[in-house]
Amino acid sequence: MTAATLHDAHPPAPAHHGTARRLLLGPGWIRAAWMFCLFSAIGFGLVVGLRAAAGWHPILDTQIITLVSLLVCGPIGFLAGIGCFDYWVYYALGFPTRPEDHSGHGARSWKDYFRVNTDHKVIGVQYLVTTMVFFIIGGMLAMLVRAELARPGIQFFDPQTFNGLFSVHASLMIFLFIIPAFAGLANFVVPLMLGAADMAFPRLNALSFWLLPIAGVMMVASFLVPGGAFACGWTGYVPLCSTHQPLGAVFFNQAVQWAGASSIMTALNFLVTIITMRAPGMTFWRLPLLVWANFTTSLLVVIATPFIAGSQFFSMFDHVMHTAFFETAKGGYPLGYQHIFWFYSHPAVYIMMLPGFGIMSEVISVFSRKPIFGYRLMALSLMAIVVLGFSVWAHHMFVSGMASWLRVPMMITTLLIAVPTGIKIFSWLATMWDGKLHFNTPMLFALGFLSMFVIGGLSGVMLGAVPVDIHMNQTYFVVAHIHYVLFGGSVFTIFAGIYYWFPKMTGRMYDERLGKLHFWLTFVGFNLTFFPMHILGTEGMPRRVVDYAPKFADLNMFISLASFALGASTIVFLYNAITSWRSGEKAPSNPWHAMTLEWQVSSPPPVFNFDEIPQVVGSPYGYGIPGAQHAILAPSHVPEEAAVT
Amino acid sequence: MRKGQILSLVGIGVVAGGIATAVAVVPTWLPTRASVEAGRIDDVIWMTIIISIVIFSVVGGVIVYEVIRFRARPGDDSDGPPVHGHTGLEITWTLIPLGIVTAIAIFSAIVLSRNGNAGVDPLRVDVIAQQYSWTFAYPDAHGLTSSVLRLPKGRSVVLTITSKDVIHSFWVPNFGQKQDAVPGLHPTLHITPDRLGTFPVVCVELCGLGHALMRSEAIVMTPTAFDKWLKSQQTAVTSPSASVSGAAVFKNNGCGACHTLTAAATTGKIGPDLDKLPQWAAQAKQPLESFVKTSIVDPNAYVQPGFPKNVMPGTFASLPPQQLDALVQYLISSSKKG
Repeated sequence: MTAATLHDAHPPAPAHHGTARRLLLGPGWIRAAWMFCLFSAIGFGLVVGLRAAAGWHPILDTQIITLVSLLVCGPIGFLAGIGCFDYWVYYALGFPTRPEDHSGHGARSWKDYFRVNTDHKVIGVQYLVTTMVFFIIGGMLAMLVRAELARPGIQFFDPQTFNGLFSVHASLMIFLFIIPAFAGLANFVVPLMLGAADMAFPRLNALSFWLLPIAGVMMVASFLVPGGAFACGWTGYVPLCSTHQPLGAVFFNQAVQWAGASSIMTALNFLVTIITMRAPGMTFWRLPLLVWANFTTSLLVVIATPFIAGSQFFSMFDHVMHTAFFETAKGGYPLGYQHIFWFYSHPAVYIMMLPGFGIMSEVISVFSRKPIFGYRLMALSLMAIVVLGFSVWAHHMFVSGMASWLRVPMMITTLLIAVPTGIKIFSWLATMWDGKLHFNTPMLFALGFLSMFVIGGLSGVMLGAVPVDIHMNQTYFVVAHIHYVLFGGSVFTIFAGIYYWFPKMTGRMYDERLGKLHFWLTFVGFNLTFFPMHILGTEGMPRRVVDYAPKFADLNMFISLASFALGASTIVFLYNAITSWRSGEKAPSNPWHAMTLEWQVSSPPPVFNFDEIPQVVGSPYGYGIPGAQHAILAPSHVPEEAAVT
Repeated sequence: MRKGQILSLVGIGVVAGGIATAVAVVPTWLPTRASVEAGRIDDVIWMTIIISIVIFSVVGGVIVYEVIRFRARPGDDSDGPPVHGHTGLEITWTLIPLGIVTAIAIFSAIVLSRNGNAGVDPLRVDVIAQQYSWTFAYPDAHGLTSSVLRLPKGRSVVLTITSKDVIHSFWVPNFGQKQDAVPGLHPTLHITPDRLGTFPVVCVELCGLGHALMRSEAIVMTPTAFDKWLKSQQTAVTSPSASVSGAAVFKNNGCGACHTLTAAATTGKIGPDLDKLPQWAAQAKQPLESFVKTSIVDPNAYVQPGFPKNVMPGTFASLPPQQLDALVQYLISSSKKG
């Protein structure tokens, strides 16, 4: 069966269903709206009923009601209404189901992007557009933070709002932009690169995506809660975040759970897909490095993410149920939170880096027209980062008051991670050596990444040395460091990836001139904004302050102005993306002359990717070798005799 | 590689290194150092900065060289040579970074261990953090407390740091050393001041709404001046007739970080304006004195409309009765003036 015939296999709409009834009861936004209300009401009833029955006063406890009804039950109703559970519910209730039902697969109009879709390519685009929306919101919050910090003293925001601004900014950028944007790119690309028709669990894949807007809306909505948004930083240290915060803190605790669940499901999906759905001949040593990167990232996600879930549950229980996991006065241990939190959140740094490393390997190899230098060591260094990544968490806690003997071992493992990271940087440099470099926008972002990530990596080595960290910890030096790693590192690679696969995703070319303009504005704006923060930090300006000593005024004004320029550079990107998507030049199937499998099918690819499963015969990076092939597509078209001889 | 290539590569590397060195040397990065420990920390900072400059120059130099030298000419669609790797090179760039980080780790461990040594006969100071103020107690001076940290120059000091409510962090940028203040824990920090002067004490762990204003001062004095100050304060503490100043209690407890009070020249806006206390008491329909006192020891009993609950710390319930009374009288008299 070809893609086209599968594609047309719609279930015939039952005749007795009226249009109005289908609108109300069929999966979609209308059902999502009323089911959200229904489930919220059930949650409300549950809390009030139980409290009344047990005689707990007050019966109308706003905190518990908000948590159970709006943050737990309501979102489940939304997911059920939009249609994430339809198949499973039908199956569980014994109704007839059609495992080969492809009606929710592929996009035929823009409306198909707004419903539950099981096509990994649609889901990839859904992820990327959603994360872009939260990137813009998060960026605007950062602009507001910089507006307040342009001058010393308190200008525009009271401290509660200000603390909320930077807390929500960081949470959105981490949980709703960088992590899921990589998941979106990988969702689109990995099955294609493997020669597979889709992910291993397409329905689970759809569910993972729809958890994401819930988490994002929850974080932004915390600004509307009485008392203000959560205002204890994205790290949510206790006891400040558990017992000294308004209701907004619970929105953070709970949003992290939704985003974390999404992350774990996607990672499981990637692992199973990569292990079981590789095309014939696609051995592990023939995997493109992007696939390796997502394989290792997924290992990190499934092992580490439950820890942040635990930390947020305990913190929330302390807040709403008056437990004492972290309350010193009642026998709790505040540093316990930090250990559990960083046991996820340090590996999370690599969850936000490794997929970018994968994108870099693809882009640098293709635009240098050379094979990746030291392919196996590149893959092995990813694994080394995974293993070492789990042994460094306490380097965030050098001054926390934890057992002081723990500092030197954690410093050693932290510094050791620089070795596999260095191997990757040097190998990329060697890949470019003697190549034929083409400076298209993806390559510019790749070079921007290389130079900026080196700075972030080196300031990371500085912070890894305990005495330096004791001075720099919690200052603007750390703010500069994380932005060099997460912006100069992750965001540059995300942009490289978006430009690189834009023709494949949309079937149209982006505007190269605007792409280059976007790169230069971002690159210059980024450095002007974040480099001076190193100086502020070493001089002694703490992070997360609404007000600062007057001697820091000039640099802060400079940083604020630069940050507005950096923010404005995104407009160029948005304009380019939107206009090119609508009316850009039609993209050929392989505009970059790349060897990996996604470029061997049309742009955009057919609904089921490949008419026939490809046969993989060689390295994905055989540039410069005459006649080298990564895969043979549609082997059925090769005459039988030719295959024998 | 030809000789000319090597020369231009080295040239670009030197230029990149020069720029990086200028960035490291021209702006003033580090605050004036005022402790022996900070001097040792600076040694590690400079060691890592020099290493960073070298590595950045190598990587940056190679990138710039490659961009110039290996750019594809227009219309050139050919591929580069199919080089897949070079074991010798790969081993080299594994071992050299390994050696560098080992050196950093050893040097750091030595500095850490030396900075953790208190030396003989250290001065003991207890640092107590609370939202949003610092209290410094001198246990060897009969429980003398101060809102400003005064230290003698040249004597090693052991600070024992703790918190009454949430996590704070004690830092004097000029001393280099830093330690979080965690409720229930009592970690120590060693500082040997070696420069006279007044330096800022800042809280560097987000601790709530008044975090940015949780500041104090560290004053390094000559040993004789310090002993003189200690004696004068002790007389004040031990003499039974000592009158507690409400203004001092207000200042020591950091009330001004959140509240406006003209008499104390504070302009905080997180909590209600204390110049208008009589008005607020009238609104709450309570007598002024008991209204002020209850608001301090049990802040959630009555919350001023327009302000959120649970923001004012509950830790002031533990103020000694004498200090509490002085504070209440001070607030009443100041607000009536204002």
